[in-house]
Amino acid sequence: MSALRALTIANIRSFLRDRAALFWTLAFPIVFILLFGTIFSGGGDTKLTVAWVDQDASPAAAQLRATFAQVSLLELKDEPLDDALTAMKRGDLDAVLVVPSGYADAIASAGSAGGSGSPLSLTLYTDPSQSNTTQTLSGVVQSLVGAQNQALSGQPPVLRVAEKTIQTEQLSSVSYFVPSILAMALMQLGIFAAIPLVQQREKLILKRLNATPLPRWTLVGSNVLMRLAIAAVQTVLIMAIGIVVFGVSVAGNLAATVGFVALGAVTFIALGYVIASFARTEEAANGMTSIVQFPLMFLSGIFFPLAFMPEWLRGVATAMPLTYLGDALRQTMVGGTPFVPLGVDLLVLGGWLAVCLAISARFFRWQ
Amino acid sequence: MPANPVEVTDARKAFGRVQAVDGVSFHVGPGEIFGLLGPNGAGKTTTVEMLEGLTRPDGGELRVLGLDVRHHASEIKKRIGVQLQTAALYPHLTVSELIDLFSSFYPRRVPLERVIEELDLGEKRDALTRTLSGGQQQRLSVALALVNDPELVFLDEPTTGLDPAARRALWELIEGMKRQGRSVMMTTHYMDEAEALCDRIAIMDHGKILDHGTVNELIGRRFHERAVQFEQLPGLEETRLAALTGVSSVKHEDGTTLLFTADVPATIGALLEVTESLGVEPHGLLVRRATLEDVFLQLTGRALRD
Repeated sequence: MSALRALTIANIRSFLRDRAALFWTLAFPIVFILLFGTIFSGGGDTKLTVAWVDQDASPAAAQLRATFAQVSLLELKDEPLDDALTAMKRGDLDAVLVVPSGYADAIASAGSAGGSGSPLSLTLYTDPSQSNTTQTLSGVVQSLVGAQNQALSGQPPVLRVAEKTIQTEQLSSVSYFVPSILAMALMQLGIFAAIPLVQQREKLILKRLNATPLPRWTLVGSNVLMRLAIAAVQTVLIMAIGIVVFGVSVAGNLAATVGFVALGAVTFIALGYVIASFARTEEAANGMTSIVQFPLMFLSGIFFPLAFMPEWLRGVATAMPLTYLGDALRQTMVGGTPFVPLGVDLLVLGGWLAVCLAISARFFRWQ
Repeated sequence: MPANPVEVTDARKAFGRVQAVDGVSFHVGPGEIFGLLGPNGAGKTTTVEMLEGLTRPDGGELRVLGLDVRHHASEIKKRIGVQLQTAALYPHLTVSELIDLFSSFYPRRVPLERVIEELDLGEKRDALTRTLSGGQQQRLSVALALVNDPELVFLDEPTTGLDPAARRALWELIEGMKRQGRSVMMTTHYMDEAEALCDRIAIMDHGKILDHGTVNELIGRRFHERAVQFEQLPGLEETRLAALTGVSSVKHEDGTTLLFTADVPATIGALLEVTESLGVEPHGLLVRRATLEDVFLQLTGRALRD
């Protein structure tokens, strides 16, 4: 068995048998995502804002509007179609419902005997990434239109709903969250690499390894491989929960997602080595990972968009590597609005990686 | 005649302002157990670590298996076995996993079964290393030094902190290494260990080697006399003792009397004549020679124990 393989397996075994490490890297993000996902996807008392585009301008159309307005869940806004679609793309609206011209005629012809032809389409624009909203709206609209059909006792139905999808800039909280939690988990996985390293140095395990002919690159390589394997497990778990539990569609660009997961993991492992370069004791390593971890977590726009931050804080967030990993994963996984183009994410993460590697190479001590 | 596995001439190493090793010279002969004896902080570990390729010497010539430690550290590491003073183990691996892991680092490997059997770790092969007793951990750490079938083994304080039974078991292991033709260089601060195990000993203190040789040489060089020892007899006057044949000096220590003499049989004969005439019997009669402890005391002016 090659030394690299043996050491990687030994690292994975040690990791799997260390309950604390297992909890923080695997269970913690899952608990996090379930907890926050549930809180944010509930949203029970918020109304859905729907643009009411009336292209018929008839009393019949006004009557239909009144029916919809009775639904307490919906808040209707009258807008022309162009304005409504623009507003929806901006994220100001949850959906757009279009009542086409000819609606009054269709209703009237249904009243007369032998109403003919295909049913008239009401168009509903929704955003597929907002799966909960979309399902709710589509259900409400379908049932109201169905009721309308029955009231008209039209056979065949006079009205139908044509659903159209539109990509909005506003991600639902859960689809914003899933890539964020993955980014957070990768960050923790990486910087927590510092703790076993410092432990192994304190307990002279690194020194003992140094007394064997094992090359140092093999030692570092096995640590990175072990953490990449865990990163793969984290990614699959978090994506699976996003898809299965919260119905977030995360089937964006899979290859790019994998690439950024790997780059993110390696960058934060390098940051872990930087911490291990300066922490002399295990306690110091624990403290330093916390000191690095929390600002990264809360000032990186991974839990809320940077646009919500005050100006001065946004400057800090702009420097954080986690901002770019979160941004890249959001773009590649759920097609979120870019904070910067993917190329910039790549460059910034690559830059952090290079700097961390240089610092570790200069200051890391084996004994 | 094979070359000496370790040759050291004027080795030096300073840590900041502390001169840890201050010009030491010695060699380890092929197939011998060589002991570096001295108190904690004497520079023993630094000396060994320079030879193991863990610490870079400041000066001097250090050759291991004929190779210069400064230029051939990785070649040397393949052929030596190392046990560090503090057992460094992966706490979450089992005994056999750990031995397998360390085997994978070397081009030349001893089969796992043989290592486990030799070190008597069979019962514990599937136990996590952190659940092992001190003695078992120490045996495991010695086992890791043997996975590459080394020509030369370095053992740094191998029995520190072990109970007498575990110490005895480890001594047997070390003697076994010698029987297998390996050379052993060990450090210790136990006199009895050095005396029982080592073919040759170097006494080290404050970064310097004060003297070296076999136990008999070290003692014989400075103590020609031996001591006749017995429990103190109240009726026996000091002047009569001092006048006994061969006695050069008399000492009382912890309820025993010591008669220092160059001629043990004559002194004992004379002592027994006197006691018989007084109608008493000397209890606990034995002949003691000087020990390494005495050598150390004379070399440094203080006892090794503290």
